[in-house]
Amino acid sequence: MAATSQLLINESAIRRNRMTRRLGQAGLLLNPVFTYFFLWAPILILVLFSFNESRSVASFTGFTLKWYNNILNNVMGAERAFSTEIMLNAFRNSLFVGTVATVIATVLGTMIALAMARGRFPGKGLIDGLLFLPVVIPEITQAISLAIFFKVAFDWIAVISGERIFPGFHTIIMAHVTFNISYVAIVVRARLADMDPQLEEAAKDLGANPWRAFWRVTFPLILPGVISGALLAFTLSLDDFVITFFTSGVGTSTLPVFVYGLLKLTVTPEVNAISTIMMVLSTLLIGISLAMQGRTSSRA
Amino acid sequence: MATYDVELVDIVKEFDSGLRAVDKVSVQVADGEFFALLGPSGCGKTTTLRLIAGFEQPSAGRVLIRGIAMEGIPAYHRPVNTVFQDYALFPHLTVEQNIMFGLEMEGVNKKEARARAAESLEMVRLPGVGERKPRQLSGGQQQRVALARALVKKPAVLLLDEPLGALDLKLRKNMQYELKALQRDVGITFIYVTHDQEEAITMADRIAVMNEGKMLQIGSPRQIYERPESVFVADFIGETNFIAGELLERGPDGFGRVKLADGTVIRAQLSEALSRSSGQVRLAIRPERIGIATIAETGGEEIDPSEYTVLDALLIDSQYIGTDTRYTLQIGEATELVVRVQNISELDSSGIALGQAVTVYWHNSSATVLDI
Repeated sequence: MAATSQLLINESAIRRNRMTRRLGQAGLLLNPVFTYFFLWAPILILVLFSFNESRSVASFTGFTLKWYNNILNNVMGAERAFSTEIMLNAFRNSLFVGTVATVIATVLGTMIALAMARGRFPGKGLIDGLLFLPVVIPEITQAISLAIFFKVAFDWIAVISGERIFPGFHTIIMAHVTFNISYVAIVVRARLADMDPQLEEAAKDLGANPWRAFWRVTFPLILPGVISGALLAFTLSLDDFVITFFTSGVGTSTLPVFVYGLLKLTVTPEVNAISTIMMVLSTLLIGISLAMQGRTSSRA
Repeated sequence: MATYDVELVDIVKEFDSGLRAVDKVSVQVADGEFFALLGPSGCGKTTTLRLIAGFEQPSAGRVLIRGIAMEGIPAYHRPVNTVFQDYALFPHLTVEQNIMFGLEMEGVNKKEARARAAESLEMVRLPGVGERKPRQLSGGQQQRVALARALVKKPAVLLLDEPLGALDLKLRKNMQYELKALQRDVGITFIYVTHDQEEAITMADRIAVMNEGKMLQIGSPRQIYERPESVFVADFIGETNFIAGELLERGPDGFGRVKLADGTVIRAQLSEALSRSSGQVRLAIRPERIGIATIAETGGEEIDPSEYTVLDALLIDSQYIGTDTRYTLQIGEATELVVRVQNISELDSSGIALGQAVTVYWHNSSATVLDI
């Protein structure tokens, strides 16, 4: 008798347990649905309306490529500010700044990563922490601090040499290098952490001096990380608006700065089209970067 | 003056943390010798190897390779090569490229390097895998590639850091035999780091037993096993019974008289390293050197009482372990003694009952008197 009631209690407990588990599972299923909805819905709307027949965002009236066509053909409704030439120029500026900043940041970032992973020197912990600073501090803070820094520095140079330097590509590139170094260093370091340091010793043991050991063993092994870091840097550089806005001079507008200029007037479907193109480009680069990192870890 | 392949003179290695990993180590390794550095983990054996390879610099003392002082000579200019514990094969290169790497660094032309790489793969009995990547090989095969990569350079000395540590038992036994044969064939000096005492005993010409940065004893496997000079060595190598006693007299013949806890006085061989001439000592006796006889039997066997130690004992446990039976006996009040008897016939393993009073005996030279 006692045994039976014991059994009954257990059964109801099991049933209750099963219910909570089902509820929990439903919640877990809903979580990503909402997350992805809020993440992707605005972007999907932007992409959608870049193909919208109507100029208004009130309703989707039909599919068209004419806004894409417009941005390549100097037409932008009634707006005078737009010309394909200015846009292409801004795009060229973006590519130029991105390429130069990426090359410099990749070399410096890789060197820092190597020093951090292999070196032993005083203050290493501090430098290590400071390396993450550009990743965590608000972009606007960094932008303003860079703008002030350049102003002060150029004032001093003007006082000393009598020559006035104006902001331009060099300031944008320097600014981009500063934040990109961190990203490159972090990505390359992750790769180095996966690499067996004994491989470098093995190379030296077999007669390779440090220079050859680096180029024949270390570098090929961290190359996926370096490329991945470079792609990330290039993408961040292409996408950056805030820092570029505060450090650019006359005639050095990059594509995001140009788009912002258009927005000051009104959000036109052409802006949607340009934004869509930029997004596709960035996603592609980040995708390749991630794929390189994935390859990295599957190798180790 | 004889030159050795490797000579360490009063080597001290102190790390930044203050840890003294190697403490005043001096040793000479002769040409063509298979020399084992044996000790528990953290005893400084790997650090000693790394000092020879040039990956670490000694805090004091000198490393000489073929009579040349190695101070200031970087790893990549030393005539030694290393087989790393985890092989450290370059994952982005093929097996052949791995083996050719060292030759390429020497400036050997590609054609010759290729031929030598193939030759050395042949030598480690792994022909035809040159095109593969290391990760496509099994652990044992990778081990052979690591060997081939080091041997292709024809080093004066090959340094091996627990090379069989990652292999399973059966493969390890095979590789022990093969490595030894290979070493005999190529005639290269091997310095072999291991924590496996059996591996060291079966393979090495000479063994150095290390503990806490010090080299406690250097000698042939036989000397190390039969004539340990300290409690640590006796305990680390094989199984040993330790019996506390008091040394009464050091005889001129290398034997001494020792009084056991229960007052019995026995004769035992003095260790060469024994420093004291009286006072507390420890007797070390190998379990397989002790014989057991039931009281009834002793009458039948003639034992010379001047050559043998004979004691009464009580059987408290027996364990059948296949080849042997392992008996635990008690002598005196509280001293336990482990005895191993080979199971020559099926009857041997079941001969004595638990709790039975028996006699144990050993030849006086089988018991070694050690400092505590």
